[in-house]
Amino acid sequence: MKSIYVTSLVVMTTAGTSAFAMQYLTVAEAQRVMFPDATAFKDVNLHLSDDQMHQVEKLSGLPGRSANWRVFSAFREDTMLGYVVLDDVIGKFELISYAVAINPDASIKQVEILTYRESHGFEVRNAAWRKQFSGKTIQSGLAVGEGIANISGATLSCTHVTDGVRRIAAIAQVALKK
Amino acid sequence: MMRRAQPWLGTLVDITIGDALDDIALMSCFNAAFARIAKVHRLMSFHDLNSDVSRINRASVGDTINIDPLTDEVIRTALAVAEASGGIFDINCAAKLIEWGYLPRLEEVLLECPSGRRCAVILESDYKAIKTEPACIDLGGIAKGYAVDLAIEELKQLGVQSACVNAGGDLRVIGDIAYSITIRHAERPTEAAGRIQIQDEALATSAGYFSRKSIDGREVSPLVNGKTGAPVTSTFSASVSASTCMVADALTKIVSATGDVNHPALTQFDATAFIT
Repeated sequence: MKSIYVTSLVVMTTAGTSAFAMQYLTVAEAQRVMFPDATAFKDVNLHLSDDQMHQVEKLSGLPGRSANWRVFSAFREDTMLGYVVLDDVIGKFELISYAVAINPDASIKQVEILTYRESHGFEVRNAAWRKQFSGKTIQSGLAVGEGIANISGATLSCTHVTDGVRRIAAIAQVALKK
Repeated sequence: MMRRAQPWLGTLVDITIGDALDDIALMSCFNAAFARIAKVHRLMSFHDLNSDVSRINRASVGDTINIDPLTDEVIRTALAVAEASGGIFDINCAAKLIEWGYLPRLEEVLLECPSGRRCAVILESDYKAIKTEPACIDLGGIAKGYAVDLAIEELKQLGVQSACVNAGGDLRVIGDIAYSITIRHAERPTEAAGRIQIQDEALATSAGYFSRKSIDGREVSPLVNGKTGAPVTSTFSASVSASTCMVADALTKIVSATGDVNHPALTQFDATAFIT
């Protein structure tokens, strides 16, 4: 029975039309998943000063990249439960948007991927192509849960996400710690 | 059907739950499954100084290292696959991966690569490992598959009927519903080579398209043929299906190194392979 697999491989004829993309969670869903007890999320647009940027670079060992970060604080009534920080990273073939939940003590609580979009390298490196997915994730043209079948293939390293999380951990230490 | 993904084990781990559950039940199933993956990450990471793998790597010959039962199980399976493959699959080649820039050069870690199929550790009973060779191990070729198995077992225990757990291409499906899986094209990896249906089994794929590189004019990859010490630079993609993802994951390395889809190790572990 198992040998059927080899012959059942259907060769796709639509070469060149790669659309490996998946929307896992909207920002609102990620907020609920990461802080299920929260009753409200407040938009705190974080702006890092030059000094804070410098500290972030020193702590994370990575370029600070941006002074402006999209951050939400999570509240249960008047109690601050933590933060949700949004970010996207670009790899050789992929554009990944993700959310990091931060505890009030600045430790990382959880990381969730929001959207994953993969294409040919030249598209990913193209600013216009990336722009259609920016605005932090949601305009990806996909409904939640819609997207690619599971892919089996070589492991695509998620170094960019790992570095991104490390940078956000440093930002939390520098600018969000209570 | 609900899907979530988190970064673990150096890749994205994607979990699909097919059952119609309410939001709270779904959330606790996802969280429990990701917690199992996270545990494997903590125990078996090469990078984390507190992992079992790091403690083995930093130990001196003669030291006894207490390891978690999960790490014990992975190392035992790795040794069985090494034996079945005549040493092609080998967890003791981390020194090569450091040399080729795939693993970080950590302090206190010994940098010899043993020859003649000697393992860095002997496993005693009671989850004790005795360091026997001045080498360091890397479970990168098998731990992702094991993490997938643990997440699947957790979901089963929670009563989930239909699920797929995919750790960067090493995946396993449970339930009566078949899942459609896309296999990446070996030469154009952002395209599909084809689709297959998977039901109640594991499928792992190994290929070098994202990781092959050239160092001083020599092509290297993060996959070492333990028998020859040479990097596996085959340009095809090797997929193995088996009952567990740990075994499927490890066996892909043998098929990648040999190109042999009828390798005796596959029969021994009741697995099948194909190359694309």
